[in-house]
Amino acid sequence: MASTTDSLAASPAFTFSASTFQKLHPTEYFRKFISQGVRPDGRLLDSFRPTTVHYGVITTANGSAMVRIGGTTVVCGIKAEVAEPKLDSPDQGYLVPNVDLSPICSSAFRPGSPSEQAQVVSEAIHRVLKESKVLDLKDLCIEEAKAVWALWIDVVCVSYDGNIYDAALISVMAALLNVRIRKPTYDEGIVKVPGGEAINDENSFKLNLTRIPLSTSFVLFDTDLTLLADPNFAEESITQGQISVTIDEHGRLCRISKVGAASTSQSLLKQCIERAKIRSHELRSIMNQQ
Amino acid sequence: MSRLDRTRTSAHQLRPFFSSQNLLNRSDGSAQFDFGGSSVLCSVVGPAEVKLRDEKLDKATIEVVARPLVGLPGVKDKALEQNIRESLEPLILSGLHPRTMLQIVIQTMKDDGCILSTAFNAVILALLDAGIPLKSILGSVTCMIDAQSSEILLDPTTEELSRARSTHVFVFDNKSSVQSEQGKMNVDTDDQEAGTSSLAAVLFSDSTGMFTEQEYFECAHFCFKASQAVHGFIRTAVQKKLEKEYQQTQA
Repeated sequence: MASTTDSLAASPAFTFSASTFQKLHPTEYFRKFISQGVRPDGRLLDSFRPTTVHYGVITTANGSAMVRIGGTTVVCGIKAEVAEPKLDSPDQGYLVPNVDLSPICSSAFRPGSPSEQAQVVSEAIHRVLKESKVLDLKDLCIEEAKAVWALWIDVVCVSYDGNIYDAALISVMAALLNVRIRKPTYDEGIVKVPGGEAINDENSFKLNLTRIPLSTSFVLFDTDLTLLADPNFAEESITQGQISVTIDEHGRLCRISKVGAASTSQSLLKQCIERAKIRSHELRSIMNQQ
Repeated sequence: MSRLDRTRTSAHQLRPFFSSQNLLNRSDGSAQFDFGGSSVLCSVVGPAEVKLRDEKLDKATIEVVARPLVGLPGVKDKALEQNIRESLEPLILSGLHPRTMLQIVIQTMKDDGCILSTAFNAVILALLDAGIPLKSILGSVTCMIDAQSSEILLDPTTEELSRARSTHVFVFDNKSSVQSEQGKMNVDTDDQEAGTSSLAAVLFSDSTGMFTEQEYFECAHFCFKASQAVHGFIRTAVQKKLEKEYQQTQA
């Protein structure tokens, strides 16, 4: 017995590799990195993952875009459909955004009815589009009280690695910029949308967007509320609080949301807004490159 | 400047509060909270048995269920559930009841704007009624910016909200108000920090629409002041309830 305790004292009782430590104590593993001012994936605390935007990836849709933020990939397709207007707004078309987080993109999502997160992101995008008046819904009117355009905005996540709200909103805005709808004709209760020939400037129209809101998200780590920009999936799962700042091209705010974690000082919120302004500039130049 | 609802005279006036605790027999705690014509009923059950899938080894699982005024729960109700659950998680001392569930059900009774704020206040009263250990108490107030006059209106009605350029929901806990008072004390000694130190810490914030940074922090300032009235009201409501219970046990 004595010899075994001796040998235990000589070498540490447990030695694990870094990856085992990460699995056993994800928060502690993370804390060690944060104390050195870096994140496990090599980024600094306030740096974002490489972002790319591609337009027109789905040829059968009226508008589409694919956005990648690091390991997160989303595809957005917009389909315009002639529909009856709602009774309380007979001269306005409508937007129906929907975000789909299926098991295809991550094992964190179960098949079946849409997850809470998917519904919450859909609702947030819907509110931003509606309440910050991204486009004049009267532009989507074909004939008052008879026919309007309904835009079905579907965002499908192909690969999930955190920060879905930012990725989804960029893809929706990029797809809206990409939308082309054939000019319809209205004649005695019948709407005709000519088909056949290739879409050109004469037989189709683009959407006239009044503003392009883009979002920047942060998570709050630990009790000292360290701010981490553009969280990935691992970072989202060990943090409680999230701050999102949505900003348009003139630096006006469209949405601020702070959910979870302990109370944060307003100077921290100011810091987020400042960082979001810089990030939205970068995103706009990425979107314009294409 | 008079308000659209005609009962109020100032832009920064709140509608009358009303609350009632311990309304439901079969739940561990319940409360109703009204902001004028908006009313939310909330029940709390717990600590109760938890489904194996949701069980957490080191703390209680908090489940929030929101029911709308009419029809089936939709996307909006899911968003409300998430907002309330994630704001309460750091507030509830859930480590005291590991491997249990705390179920909070929110039922909208009357809707005249500001349902999220009303729900937050109803939930905290119900949690107090159920005797769930909490780190601090929260109070919530909504405000909006009028599209035409750009004026900040506190606690708007549905009619007023239809003319809003942006809406802002804020939640402050009573710890942040203590911090801000300490900040104010420092102001006397150091005038330079007056701008930042009196700003209260924000527990939850949800703003959408079109607004500037300055407007946002102005809204935060007015909502914080108004939330002090809500904190005071919650305190009195609990005090009165305890006094009544004490008298009943004496009789």
